[in-house]
Amino acid sequence: MSSVILRNVNKSYGNLPIVKNLNLEVKDGEFVVLVGPSGCGKSTTLRMVAGLEDITQGEIQIGSRAINDLPPHKRNIAMVFQNYALYPHMSVRENIVFGLKKSGADAETIKEKLADVSEMLKLDDYLDRKPADLSGGQRQRVAMGRALARDADVYLFDEPLSNLDAKLRHHMRTEIARIQHQYNMTAIYVTHDQIEAMTLGDRVVVMRDGIVEQVGTPMEIYLQPTNTFVATFIGSPAMNLIEAKIEGEDLVFDNYRLPAAKIANVDLQDLKSHDTVLVGIRPDFFEDSALSSPSDNLFEFNDIQVELVENLGFDKEIMFKLGGEDAKARLDLRSHVKRQENISMSVDLNRVLLFDTSPQGMLLNTGEV
Amino acid sequence: MMNKRSTTQSVILYALVLALVIFCVFPFLQILSTSLKHPIDWGNPSLIPRVLHLDAYKELLGLMPAKEVDVPASVQRLLDNPALSAEKKQMLLDKFSAGGDVFPFGRYMLNTFVISFVTGICSTFLASLAAYAIARLRFPAQSLMANGVLFVYMVGGVLLMVPLYQMSVNVGLASSAAGTIFSLFLIYLIQTLPVAMYMLGNYFRTIPFSLEEAAMMDGCSRVEAFWRIIMPLSKPMLFTVFIYCFVIAWNEYLFASVFLKQYQDFQTLPLALQTLFTSKNAIWDRIMAASMLTLLPVVICFMLANKHLSGGLTDGGVKG
Amino acid sequence: MQKREEHMSSVLIKNESRLGLKLVAPAVGIIGLLVIYPILFNIYLSFFDVQLNGTKTFVGMENYTDLLGNPRYYHSIGVSVIYLIGTVIGTTVLGLAAAILMNQEFRFRNLARGLILLPYFAPVISVVFGWQFIFDPVNGIYNHVVVDVLHLTDTRENLIGNPDSALFVVIVFDIWKHFPIAYLLFLAKLQSVPKDLYEAAAIDGQNAWGRFWHVTLPELRFVIATVVLLRIIWNLNRFEDVYLLAPNVETLPIFTYYQAFAGIVDQGVAAAISVIQLLVLVGLIWLYVRKVLKW
Repeated sequence: MSSVILRNVNKSYGNLPIVKNLNLEVKDGEFVVLVGPSGCGKSTTLRMVAGLEDITQGEIQIGSRAINDLPPHKRNIAMVFQNYALYPHMSVRENIVFGLKKSGADAETIKEKLADVSEMLKLDDYLDRKPADLSGGQRQRVAMGRALARDADVYLFDEPLSNLDAKLRHHMRTEIARIQHQYNMTAIYVTHDQIEAMTLGDRVVVMRDGIVEQVGTPMEIYLQPTNTFVATFIGSPAMNLIEAKIEGEDLVFDNYRLPAAKIANVDLQDLKSHDTVLVGIRPDFFEDSALSSPSDNLFEFNDIQVELVENLGFDKEIMFKLGGEDAKARLDLRSHVKRQENISMSVDLNRVLLFDTSPQGMLLNTGEV
Repeated sequence: MMNKRSTTQSVILYALVLALVIFCVFPFLQILSTSLKHPIDWGNPSLIPRVLHLDAYKELLGLMPAKEVDVPASVQRLLDNPALSAEKKQMLLDKFSAGGDVFPFGRYMLNTFVISFVTGICSTFLASLAAYAIARLRFPAQSLMANGVLFVYMVGGVLLMVPLYQMSVNVGLASSAAGTIFSLFLIYLIQTLPVAMYMLGNYFRTIPFSLEEAAMMDGCSRVEAFWRIIMPLSKPMLFTVFIYCFVIAWNEYLFASVFLKQYQDFQTLPLALQTLFTSKNAIWDRIMAASMLTLLPVVICFMLANKHLSGGLTDGGVKG
Repeated sequence: MQKREEHMSSVLIKNESRLGLKLVAPAVGIIGLLVIYPILFNIYLSFFDVQLNGTKTFVGMENYTDLLGNPRYYHSIGVSVIYLIGTVIGTTVLGLAAAILMNQEFRFRNLARGLILLPYFAPVISVVFGWQFIFDPVNGIYNHVVVDVLHLTDTRENLIGNPDSALFVVIVFDIWKHFPIAYLLFLAKLQSVPKDLYEAAAIDGQNAWGRFWHVTLPELRFVIATVVLLRIIWNLNRFEDVYLLAPNVETLPIFTYYQAFAGIVDQGVAAAISVIQLLVLVGLIWLYVRKVLKW
């Protein structure tokens, strides 16, 4: 196992920049997830680490050696591909041991590793089959097995679960988490699925348009998104952003006045330099006032007209208007709210985030983790 | 399309299909039929021989019992002369035996097979390297080469007949049998290389990039990824291309006639058959039997490769 | 993700291009030596009087002036034009008809599809004898049917022996031998025409003919152009199919062959014919690459 360091890494196709000045250190044994919408440069970054794309500018190190000019096969990296990329003419067994054999491992080690991996991934019954005779989920497991059998410095995952159906994806996600803890491997995992990012990463890197927007633990990203892009990209349903006027020390929208002083870590002086701010409230942080236990830091949104209720089992999502915009809240099943009725909901002001109204929408308070 | 055919439509459809199939197959049936007919039966328009007559095949395949030598009495006296060496006697005998009349079909078949096989192997091998590079690697003049292949592929052999012959004369290859055969082999190579490159290039493009990438992640260099993953994976297509090249060489007449005319022992089947046909008349049964035997390996190859051949040929226009 | 780029900076890209050049080198070397060089050498030879044994005498433009004053040359161009028109139309139409037929569902379809490819793959040398036998004046089925069964004429004719009628036989033979490749190209395209296009046309009240005219043909436009152009390009150079069946049908390649290797050998003139023919060919290939492949 080794650390991976990316220093001022740039990638462009001709004049088209794909990755801009990226800096990242993946520590030894750390699982880092790159997440972002398609075209954000996350896969390209991964492929630069793998050596499948060259680096236009900057440097990548694995352990202590710079690998810019090292061909892919000399980097000692294992990779799981989005389309699995299993060798169609080889059996599952041959697929798994191909890399091991190539690295010159002795027969004993190969046997052990194969037994290890096939047991862990429950592949014992399929070892003699060809990839064409496997289901999508089984192919995915073989692809995982092929990477895990290797004794690589770094493991790369390029959207490995995106071709699976929802149920299998959930299952494999937990499998990967389990394996990661067991092996304690250095891994970079690319996904556009924020749930995978949140559940798998020791740290999450949120990217957009070739730029790193934020690096942090999943909870940091969730509770302290540095800007409105990260705030709305992570979390489902997306965070509500409501434009509010600053009047004295209050944030005003509709007929609500939120006392800024009660919101965690707000620099009141700084706040007063803005005319308007965006108030960010995650749907999860709304509570049905009828059910919430009283606390002095709760803010009450009274008489909200519910436009729609979606029952999801334990949760219900309700839709309503806040500051003239569509807003969502997630309440638990004890709430008996119905469509077209009015409801009062409360929010812990410690969970409220404030963003400036610039195009970047930078976070103004540091929130509370 | 979506509604069921009426009976009339069905009848018309099957009639048309049958007509087309008969049109395609009839000349083959004619060859087979004539090869099995006794000379007296040739005028019989029916495809079914009155008597099955296998002499032509037997003769071509060397299964005919040696003919009784019909030697005139004067020569017989010479032969009885003990002063004459055994060698001389044999030479005399040969003049009267069927020897000069025997068509060494097996030899021609072997010649053709060897040159076609070697052409097929070399062409498929060289084409696979080049096609892989053109389809997969970035290098200067790549697109020029891709277009160049298409161009070369369309320049027919007839246009190159004079310069190629002159070149082989100039470098002295045409003056020996070995040199001539080598020239012919090179010519067959260039007649098959472009089409082989074209077919394999199109095929390699259908293989996902991630397979080579996976191989490189597994510790293979690009070359090893090609050898250990792409080539084994492409076996069916390589086989198909080999067959295609083999058949082109097997069928080739023009250059064989130009180069091998004076080297009778090394002639290929197309040339030998043509010589047989023009030198002796009214031996339809032997000509047809020889045609049948020339045809057979091609039909077998075709059946073996049919699955991939049709697709390989139509992925972009192909020589026809 | 796999967008390719041009600029050459890193060692990895340099390694890749070096490998690429290494892999194409043998094939490109052979093609360069035995195709490109001969094309140029051919142009050079066309200014010489060239003998079979390699002796050359410079004659300037004489080969060309001789050629352009030779009525046999114009005759062979005429024969080639008739041959091209007949075979191109024939193979295209029959290929299209066969493709439409074989695109229907019926029993033994796979067998039928395989059988109609046979002419294409069979060695010319074998099948020409079958055809010669069919048209044989004494034993052939053609004369049997025309004279004895249908009584269209009284005399048995040697169709292949007479150059004029032999041209007709050669055209039919070429159609028979080469329509399968047109058929394959058409069939591949037909199979990719989405079914719902036909269903939509049927709902719009189009009958079978209307569906063919409004759906199939427009979809096939590109393939038809490909087939026609490729047929012209290949048949312009076709030698064996004509020469082996009826050596008396003097298309351009046959005329060239006679000049180069038969009778009074004049390889310089043959080279001159090839140069002119190559120019026409390059024009056609250019048309194919620019217009047809770009569609």
